[in-house]
Amino acid sequence: MNRSDEPILEVRDLHIEFAGEDGPLPVLHGLSYTLPKGRVLAVVGESGSGKTVHALSILRLLPPNARISQGEVRYKGKNLATLGREELRKIRGNKISMIFQDPAASLNPVLTIGQQLTETLLAHRKMSKSAARAKAVKLLEKVGIAGAEKRLNEYPFQFSGGMCQRVMIAMALALEPDVLVADEPTTALDVTVQAQILNLIKQLQKASGMSAVFITHNLAVVAGIADDVLVLYAGMCMEYAPAAELFEHPLHPYTQGLLNSLAPVHEKVDILPVITGHPPLPGKLPPGCPFAPRCPFAKDKCRQVCPPLFEENGRRTRCWLREGK
Amino acid sequence: MVNYIVRRLLMLPLVVLGVTFLLFFLTQRLSPEMRASLYVKDPRQMGALEEVIREYGLRDNVFKQYGRWLKNVAHGDLGYSPSANMPVSQAIKEYLPATIQLAFVTIVFVVFFGVWFGCGSAIHKDEWKDIVARLISVGGFSLPIFVLGLILLMIFYGQLGWFAPGGYSVQTDVLIHSGMFKTYTGFLLIDSLLNGNLRVFWDVLSHLVLPAVTLCIGSFALMVRVMRSSMLEELNKDYVRTARAKGLNKFQVVYKHAGKNAIIPVITLASIQFIRLLGGTVIVETIFDYPGIGRFGVIAAQQLDIAGILGFSLMVAVLFVLGNLLSDILYTAVDPRIRLE
Repeated sequence: MNRSDEPILEVRDLHIEFAGEDGPLPVLHGLSYTLPKGRVLAVVGESGSGKTVHALSILRLLPPNARISQGEVRYKGKNLATLGREELRKIRGNKISMIFQDPAASLNPVLTIGQQLTETLLAHRKMSKSAARAKAVKLLEKVGIAGAEKRLNEYPFQFSGGMCQRVMIAMALALEPDVLVADEPTTALDVTVQAQILNLIKQLQKASGMSAVFITHNLAVVAGIADDVLVLYAGMCMEYAPAAELFEHPLHPYTQGLLNSLAPVHEKVDILPVITGHPPLPGKLPPGCPFAPRCPFAKDKCRQVCPPLFEENGRRTRCWLREGK
Repeated sequence: MVNYIVRRLLMLPLVVLGVTFLLFFLTQRLSPEMRASLYVKDPRQMGALEEVIREYGLRDNVFKQYGRWLKNVAHGDLGYSPSANMPVSQAIKEYLPATIQLAFVTIVFVVFFGVWFGCGSAIHKDEWKDIVARLISVGGFSLPIFVLGLILLMIFYGQLGWFAPGGYSVQTDVLIHSGMFKTYTGFLLIDSLLNGNLRVFWDVLSHLVLPAVTLCIGSFALMVRVMRSSMLEELNKDYVRTARAKGLNKFQVVYKHAGKNAIIPVITLASIQFIRLLGGTVIVETIFDYPGIGRFGVIAAQQLDIAGILGFSLMVAVLFVLGNLLSDILYTAVDPRIRLE
């Protein structure tokens, strides 16, 4: 693995809010992390934790009713949150590209796979249409689609979900970007296909040495692919740690709960442990730690004051239990 | 696809039989004397009435009479139209091109401005452009065709004298019925160009303006709405986000990606509107005294010209089926999911 400390993507104190009927609804509360070159960061969280919104905000693809209210997304020193439209366009799909949750819906139903692949190339490179087509054939072969030449003329509805995601990956990697943002790329797929797609992403990521932000709600997915893990809860980072250490020794009670609720492979259990209760709704955060109402270790202080991120040995944990350790 | 077209064409005789038989059956509610009276102009020859009834077998049962009519139609004989003073087939040949011409100019207006306003409205949702387009659209919806037609006639003919009613001016009438003007297609707009006569072209075009604008309004209002909502729906879809994420510019995202999907319902609507215009320009043709097939149909109906009515409805039925077929073909051309399945 190409490990270097030069950050390729840096998120600083990112706040995102939705326009609500009674004023803005904050959904992300000051997220910060750095993504070094060649590393894969997994952002894990339940639905509503702000993980998808965060993924979309990197390339400013938020829906019209959401906006970045504070903070920066820095790519090689440029703040993407305030960058001019044309400059941002040159980065999208070229330096930072993205794949999405529902691959079949993410492709245009009335354009051929070939048209959709080549237009990405033509949007950023000066090349002839035939050269772009030749490149598209190579890309499809690279992501494991047989009969690429012929399949370029087909439409998305003639592809299965897994095949559509392969096309999306080919499209995202067409211009050898520095960063891939993958927003739950396997959620909509069958379990067997999930593994294939994950392996494909991992293999292509390693081969090209690009960095990746991998959004998922599934900790099991994270284990195979991530170098670092960021656990999001109610729009806040709860724990940030190298993947191996986090799995071995989770520090935050929420992470512990998530790991406990995974089904063990070698034992038979009747009932899986669950984290009782529900995450708080946006705009209705409790005064203290957002996880306190569900936390088995919660003390009075937890319910009154939200803990900061405590740093220890390169790990960060938002929990009063880690204070002074 | 070929299969589909053949199936559709096989439907044609069924629709035509259905429509014409229904009308034929309705005309039988009139007594034979009433139906014969049209052919006997002179009151002194009322005795000839019985002769006409016998000659044309007007007392025979419906099916026998209908069968006779069908047989004549199969031989290309649609009967004689007393109201137009010529054979029905000749009347259709004379009046239909003018209506197609009017419908075509109208639908081009409607699609062009409808798509333009609808797209603009969707892209600038809730901004002033959107609000203006929606106001025009509501206004267009609320204005009945005959009111608008009369207002336009009063202003642009009565007050300003810019555009005249009718299909063409007297000079043009004289010219096109003289030997100097060759008829190629029956469409005066095309024929005038083929004759190299721009004066006739402009004359015919200027006579099209008022009826076309009048016909436009309702369809235009509908088109803006459909285009707007269709575009808004598509702009919210995942593939549009993908297109943006790929680094395409705004034009490509909106028109190439969203537009190509959003236009599908518009094509269907435009074809339905076009067919409706072909058979239903009756009011407008009457208001503007436009020499089209709709006006022929109205006069035939008013004068109980049964051959004329049947010929008119036969033609409308055929156009209806062919128009729907055209719409389906256009539809499949844009949507690969339908073409390939």
